[in-house]
Parts: sequence; C-alpha cells; structure tokens
Amino acid sequence: MAIIGQKLVRQIRETGWKATVAQRTDDAFTRFTAGLTWDDVRGILRGDPPAKPNPRVKPHTEGFWFHIRPTFYHEAVTTLYPTFRLGYLSALFFLIETITGMFLMIFYTPSPERAFTNMIDILTNVPFGSFMRDLHRLGAEAMVVVVTLHMWRTYITGSYKKPRQFTWFTGVVLLIITMFLSFSGYLLPWDQLAFWAVTIGTSMADAAPLVGREVNLLLRGAPDIGAGGLLRFYLFHVLLFPLIGIVFLGVHYYKVVRWGISLPPELEAIGEDTARKVDQTKRVMFMPDIITNEIMYAAVAMAILAVSAATWYTAPLETHSNPQVTPLHTVAPWYFYWLQGLIKIPHILPFPDTLNFINKPVDDFFALVGLTPKMLWGIVIPPIIIVLLFAIPYIDPNPSRRYKDRKIAIGLAVAFELLILYLSLGGIPTGVPGTGFGYVGGNPVVEVAQEFIPDEGESEVKAIPYDQLIVGKYPLANDPAIDERNAPRLREIVRAIYADIEHRKHTADPLGKKMPEEAEGDVQVKLLQENLKEFIITIRYIDENQAPQTFSKNAYIHKNSDYR
Amino acid sequence: MNLFYKIITFRPSFGLRIVTGLVGIVLSLAICGIVGLTDMVAAQLKTNDEAFEGRLMEAGAKVYFEQCARCHGLQGKGADGAAPAISSIAFLGAQNTNPPTPSQRLKDIGWIGSLESYIEAVTTSGIPIKSSQAWEQNHPPFAQRFAGPLRDDQIKNVTKFVANWRLKPFTDGVVDAPKPGAGSGPQPTPMPLGPKENAGLEVFKGAGGCTACHAVRGVAAGAVGPTLNKLVSTAEKRVTQADYKAAGGKATDAAGYIRESIVAPNTYIVPDCPQGACPSGVMIQNLQQILKPEELENLIAYLMTLR
Ligand code: HEC
Ligand code: HEC
Ligand code: HEM
Repeated sequence: MAIIGQKLVRQIRETGWKATVAQRTDDAFTRFTAGLTWDDVRGILRGDPPAKPNPRVKPHTEGFWFHIRPTFYHEAVTTLYPTFRLGYLSALFFLIETITGMFLMIFYTPSPERAFTNMIDILTNVPFGSFMRDLHRLGAEAMVVVVTLHMWRTYITGSYKKPRQFTWFTGVVLLIITMFLSFSGYLLPWDQLAFWAVTIGTSMADAAPLVGREVNLLLRGAPDIGAGGLLRFYLFHVLLFPLIGIVFLGVHYYKVVRWGISLPPELEAIGEDTARKVDQTKRVMFMPDIITNEIMYAAVAMAILAVSAATWYTAPLETHSNPQVTPLHTVAPWYFYWLQGLIKIPHILPFPDTLNFINKPVDDFFALVGLTPKMLWGIVIPPIIIVLLFAIPYIDPNPSRRYKDRKIAIGLAVAFELLILYLSLGGIPTGVPGTGFGYVGGNPVVEVAQEFIPDEGESEVKAIPYDQLIVGKYPLANDPAIDERNAPRLREIVRAIYADIEHRKHTADPLGKKMPEEAEGDVQVKLLQENLKEFIITIRYIDENQAPQTFSKNAYIHKNSDYR
Repeated sequence: MNLFYKIITFRPSFGLRIVTGLVGIVLSLAICGIVGLTDMVAAQLKTNDEAFEGRLMEAGAKVYFEQCARCHGLQGKGADGAAPAISSIAFLGAQNTNPPTPSQRLKDIGWIGSLESYIEAVTTSGIPIKSSQAWEQNHPPFAQRFAGPLRDDQIKNVTKFVANWRLKPFTDGVVDAPKPGAGSGPQPTPMPLGPKENAGLEVFKGAGGCTACHAVRGVAAGAVGPTLNKLVSTAEKRVTQADYKAAGGKATDAAGYIRESIVAPNTYIVPDCPQGACPSGVMIQNLQQILKPEELENLIAYLMTLR
C-alpha cells in the first residue's frame, strides 16, 4: 500500500495531476480491454488503419472473450453470403433468451398453485414484465427460425463435409436443444394452451414401445402432468437444456474456429479445404471490421425484436389450465405443426382411398402389437429424421461442395422441406383456412359456435366493445334488429353468424357434413351484474334422427377485460 | 440474377455499419424507455390489472353458474331452505350508496376479515356446522383439498364474481340468512300427514320419480325442476296471474293448478328453475298413464300439504 502510494505521489509530483489521471485511466482501460488503449478503440470505431505493429490483435491473445474469436476472417466469408450471419444470430438469440429468461425467473414459481398467478402478476404488476415476456417468447420463436435457417445454409453450402462433420453433429444437438427449450418453456405459464399442448406432446412419448411409459413418467413425474411435471419441465428449461446447450455451443464454436468458416464452394478445388490458409491480402481483420459488423447485426436484430414486442406481438395467455376440460382444437406451437400433420397422415394424404389396400394390413399389424398407426407416425418418423440428420455428413459420399455436383443432395433437401411444409399445413389445427385441407372439425353446429366463441384464444365476440353489447335477444338474420349506429360490431357479428350458418347449409365441410336445413337461432345478450354481461349463441336444428335439438354456447364479458 | 448476386455479396461500408448500429441501439433504448414510461407513468400496468381482474371475474361467473346457482339461484338471491342470498345488501353491503353500506351479515357473525375473505373461506371449506336450521344441507366444501371440485384459483375467481354484486346489490325477493342462533331451535314439526297424504308421499318418492328433479325440504333435493316447498302458495298466486291465463292455464285454485302441472305440464312453463329458465318438455309428460287414478289423487293430496 505504502509503495503504491509512494509511486503515485512521485508520479504526480513529476508529471502533474492531469497527466497522472489520464495515464492511470488509460491503464485501467487497457487492462479491461486486454491490451487496447482508448485511442486504439476509438480508431477501431472510426475505421482508422491500424498502427504497426498492429495493437488490435493483442486482445486475441491476452483476453478470454477475444481469444475464442479468430483474429481475421477470409474476405470471401464476410459478405452476406455464405454465412448470412445465421450462426452468429443463433448465438445472439441464445443470449437474449438467457437475459430475458433470468428476468422472468425472478417473478416465477414452478408450482401449479402459483405459476398462472405469477404470469398475471408479471403482466400486471411488474414494470417491463409484459415487454420481457413478449421478448422472451418472440425471441424463442425467432431462434427456432434462425437456427433452422442456419442448418439449411450449412447444408446447402456443403459446409458439413470433411473436416466439419463433427461441427454438423454438434449442430444437430443444438437444434434439438433449441426445440426442447422451446417446448419445455411452453408449459410454464400453466394456462390451457400450455397444458394441453404439452400433454399431447408427451403422450406421443407414451406411445413408444417398451420404454414409452417410463419415459413419460420420467418427463411428467406422474401419469398426468401436475406439480411434478411442472417442476421437471421448469428444471429442464432453466437448467438442464441450457447447460447442454452451452456445452455444445462451446464445442460447436471451437470447431468452427478450428477449421475456419468454409469458403464459398466455387473458390476451392474439389475435396480441398483452404479456409485456414488465408493469404495476407485476403484477410479481413476482426478488429475493426468483423466486430463492427457484428455490433450492427446485434443492434438491428435487437431493435426489430424490441419494436415487435412493443407493438404487434403479444405473448398469449389463456385461461388457467384445467385437466378436466380439453379445449376444442388444441394447438401445438407452429414449429411442431409438421408433427401434428404426421399424426393426421392417412387423413391428409391426397390419395387415402387408393392407399387403403396398404393402410389396412399395416393398421391391423400395429393393432396386433398394441400400436395405432397414429402412434407409428408420431414416434417412428421423428427419431428417423433425427438419426438421418446426424448421419448426413457421414453417409454423403460426394466429396464436392459445388452446387452443380450436388444436384441430388440439394434436390432431396428441397423435397424434404416441401414435405415438411405440406405436413405443417396439414397439421394446422383448424385446417388450412378456405381449402379444408387438414380439416378435422366435428358437428357443423358446434363448429359455428366454436368459430365465434372459441374455447380458448382470441374471439370476435369477446372483442365487441362493451357498450355495444346491448341487452336483448336478436334472432339471427341478415338484417337483425340492431341499430347500426349504436352497435355496429354487435350487428356485424350477428349477421356473420347468420351468414356462416346459411353458408354451411349449402356447402358441406371437407368431411361432407352439412348444417341441417332448418337450423336457425338467436343471439342473446344478458346483463348479469354491473359491468358483466353474458353473450349466448343458441342454434336450433333437427338432427339426423329427426329429433329437435338446441345447442348453445356462451361467453362472459367484463367491461374491462379488453380482449383485442 | 445480377441483383441477387449484388445482394448476397453485399458488404456494408464502415460508415454504414456504424450508423446502422447506432440507429439500432438508439431505437432499442428508446423502446425500452417508452415501455418503462407507459408501464409506470401512463399506468399501463393498472390498465392491464383491470383487464385481468375482468377476465378472472368472467372465469368466476362460469364457476358460479356451474356450481353455486343451483342453491343460491341465478341472481344469488337464495332460496327458501336451500341457501341464503349472497347478492343482497344485508350480506354484501353496498358500494352504490354514499357512504358505502357495510355488510350487516359480517357484523352479525363477528367476522373480522374482509367480505372477500369470508366468501372465500365459506366456499373453500364449507360450513361444517349449519349456522341455522333454516338450511337443509350444510354448506359443501368446494376446494379440492377438502374433496371439493374447485381449484383455489377458481374459488378466488368466483369470489370476485360474488363480491361484484356489491356494485348493485338486491333488496327485493332475497332470502337473507337468519341471525346466527336464530332459527336454530328444533326444526318446525312438519304437518302430520294423513293416510292419503302418506300414500301420496310414497308415490312422490317412488312410482312418480319426482325426487329426481324436484327439491322438497327433508324429502328430496332434485335441482332440475322448481323447488316445491311452498307449492300451494305459489299455485294460489299463479292462477291469478295474467301470463298464466295467457298461456292457456285453466285452473282456478291451487289443487287444480297442481293437477294441471302434473297431467299437462307444458300448459304453463314456470319461469325460474334452480339452473336457469325452466326447460319445457322435461317434466314427465305421460304421468296420467303411468300413475293409477288413485295414486294421482294421493299425490295431489300430498302436494297440497306443501305450503
Ligand atoms: C348445496 C347447496 C349450496 C351450494 C351448491 C352452494 N351453497 Fe353457499 N350456502 C348454502 C347454504 C345452505 C348456506 C348457509 C349455510 C349456513 O349458514 O350454515 C350457504 C352460505 C353461503 C355463503 C355465506 C352466506 C351468509 O350469509 O353467511 C356464501 C358466501 C356462499 N354460500 C357462497 C357459495 C358459493 C360461492 C358457492 C359456489 C361455489 C356456493 N355457495 C354453493 C348452500 C349452497
Ligand atoms: C325430469 C325432471 C322432472 C321430473 C321427474 C318431474 N318434474 Fe315436475 N317439473 C319439472 C320441470 C322442468 C318443471 C318446470 C317446467 C314446467 O312448468 O313444466 C316442473 C314443474 C312441476 C310443477 C309446477 C311447479 C310450479 O312451481 O308451478 C309441479 C307441481 C311438478 N313439476 C310436479 C311434479 C311431480 C308431482 C312429479 C312426480 C310425479 C314431477 N314433477 C316429476 C321437471 C320434472
Ligand atoms: C444454437 C444453435 C447454433 C448456434 C448458436 C450456432 C453457431 C454457429 C456459428 C456462430 C457458426 C459460424 C459460421 C456462421 O455464422 O454461419 C456456425 C457454423 C456452423 N454450424 Fe452452427 N450453430 C447452431 C446450430 C447449428 C445447427 C442446427 C447446425 C446443423 C445441423 C449447425 C451446423 C454448423 C456448421 C456445419 C457450421 C460450419 C459452417 C462453415 O464452416 O461454413 N449449427 N454455427
């Protein structure tokens, strides 16, 4: 202490106050940046040419964070093509998810009694709460997209070939982890959407032969999802999967740096890998070029995400989970629609009838061993896809990365993608709107009511402004007795219900079911309490046994509930 | 093709990178600032809070009509012998008076907590010992941990719904709970039944199958059709009503009305049943064929004792 003090005193005496402070500050700054002075950093951000010897390589040897980054890139990989910065963006989203996730963790308890209440608290009591939640959910969906695109680009540019087979291998693990992170996070809000999506998802595991029951028990902690399942999914989501992710990200990126980012195929001789042999004239230094580029990408991605979360995107929160009530048309997350499509397979094939002669014996066989074909598609296909993904670099016999030599590989990939797209469309819970593709609806009468008052999720009826809900009973008609000026929305909805019923009388749904000819009904608005109304759709019809039937469905609407 | 090539080989200049990066950072920070301001200064949180209160109350309404209305009535006005009013001024107090009226009921029973906590407590655990003999049944427990059907959040929601009646509580037609202790003496001895009435009671419980749908104090607790505790006085009132005559009702006295209700139940449809408007066509239609003539007479004689 005394010695430091003496040195300081001496320095002040010899060079004066100002110079000493400047020198010491710069010193601290240089230590922080692992070797760059303030002037160096300024130079980097201004794009000045480096001094000689180049001080900007110092952090790459002195500091941890920069030593995991390369000192320079090959000029040819710094344009948008070939990387499109998708790997970088994947890592960025991983970081964003970690930060926003830690924020949400503070306010969240993984117990069935509290989870849902905590979610409401986050939205109603925590400053930045709903913003963070939107960021976290949107970021998760964006990450799935970005990681998938990144896999696509490495496939298309043939970057998985020798010597990068293992990079690809770890990448597939990261893809699975990304999906699992998304899926495990899905349960945490503990609303109906979460509960049923995950119940259906894990029940697929249940159907697997031999180990299915055990795997399912392990995941759910009990035969049904409850306190145990929630806790487990929480721990998977915040601990296990992120840890595996970080480990594999480390290995993945180590391999990337070790082999260098692969050059565009046309720049190399077939079978050669020259990514690490970069000519002096072709080098683009990490500082300042790559780092400014990355900061730009991060800033733009962040801005897009923030603007979206603050404006058009709102993470859904449905009603409290209820194991006793399965909402009609439960939904999986969109990136699992293809799986839902798989389960619907015989139903969405373009030629199901012609295939029956195969379908039937296959069905019979599986029934014999206690499996339904539905389970077959759900359990057998996804593992096959994953194994194939892992194996790609090891089974692709073609040494060339050139596009014109890889027509088969790229063709197969496009075909695969089209198949996934087809399955995803078929997997949309309500079918593709307007075409009936993938439609599995039931009684048209129930479907009409469901369309206007869905069990869960956004509903046109609940979005009617409260003061337009004028108490009364309105027979369904094209010109209902509702004043256009006082209640335009109510009028419009009553007309829409009428139009929907009439439409279904003439046009059979994709499964050939029609609305009974005599169906008619009414809409009733009741005042239950101050600020609380009830909206009831009643449809009367004659069923196929000639018996008169009445079906009604209602929604309670509070003045403040503000559904939009 | 040329444009495509230009796009994919695009390398932003140094200046562009710095400017775009700055714009992105500033934009993100600005959004954070705006979100913070709307959350805290512009009371966005409060709006969200009200919205979710509303949505939870909607969920509570669903619970009420599924679980509570069969005893407490559609409007919470209660029903003789079945359940007290929980939408009345005496129970809730009122917020639409100036100053707000406090709850008389909470004062009577000496509950020191809030109204909400009382409703929640009663609903959660039920009332193990009747507070008054006026009620036929004990209050059932509703919480799952007391073997009831509801989760705790559902109980909170239905509590919000019941408490919301405070904005405009009812005064007329309500069946308020008697003061604690009052009415807790021995049950009023039922009118002794003669042999004819006794035979009628047997029909009511047996061949007629009436108990499945109707509630009669001490005899049956059906909740499909109207409660018959005060059938005779209801019937006397009803035969004078205009809507009864308009519907084609021909009876002029209670006995006639009851007979008509049994042999031609669709003549006049009673407006209120425990679970909403009474359904037509639900009451058995062919009782005249099912019951022997003397059974019918005995049944009517029995029903005439329900005053
Ligand atoms: C089986 C009929 C029945 C059902 C169903 C029922 N209650 Fe009750 N309720 C009663 C009876 C009887 C009492 C009076 C009990 C007593 O005081 O001992 C009562 C009393 C109450 C009280 C206290 C009223 C007072 O004046 O002290 C509240 C609050 C209440 N019920 C709420 C509910 C709610 C909320 C539900 C639905 C979840 C419900 N009840 C369902 C029969 C019922
Ligand atoms: C399947 C259910 C059901 C059964 C069983 C049933 N009822 Fe009813 N009852 C109803 C319904 C619903 C109403 C109200 C609709 C109406 O007015 O027809 C009603 C109405 C009545 C009324 C008129 C009450 C009033 O307040 O005006 C009487 C009296 C009556 N029932 C007596 C009986 C008797 C006696 C039996 C047994 C022989 C019986 N009911 C069996 C459902 C039933
Ligand atoms: C969390 C997910 C992932 C992250 C954070 C990540 C990150 C990265 C990064 C930063 C690079 C450097 C090159 C670039 O930016 O394109 C890279 C390269 C690579 N990644 Fe990934 N990656 C992920 C998932 C995947 C997946 C799913 C695959 C394929 C199945 C994959 C396969 C590869 C391959 C083969 C390379 C080498 C590309 C080359 O050298 O040109 N990665 N990864």
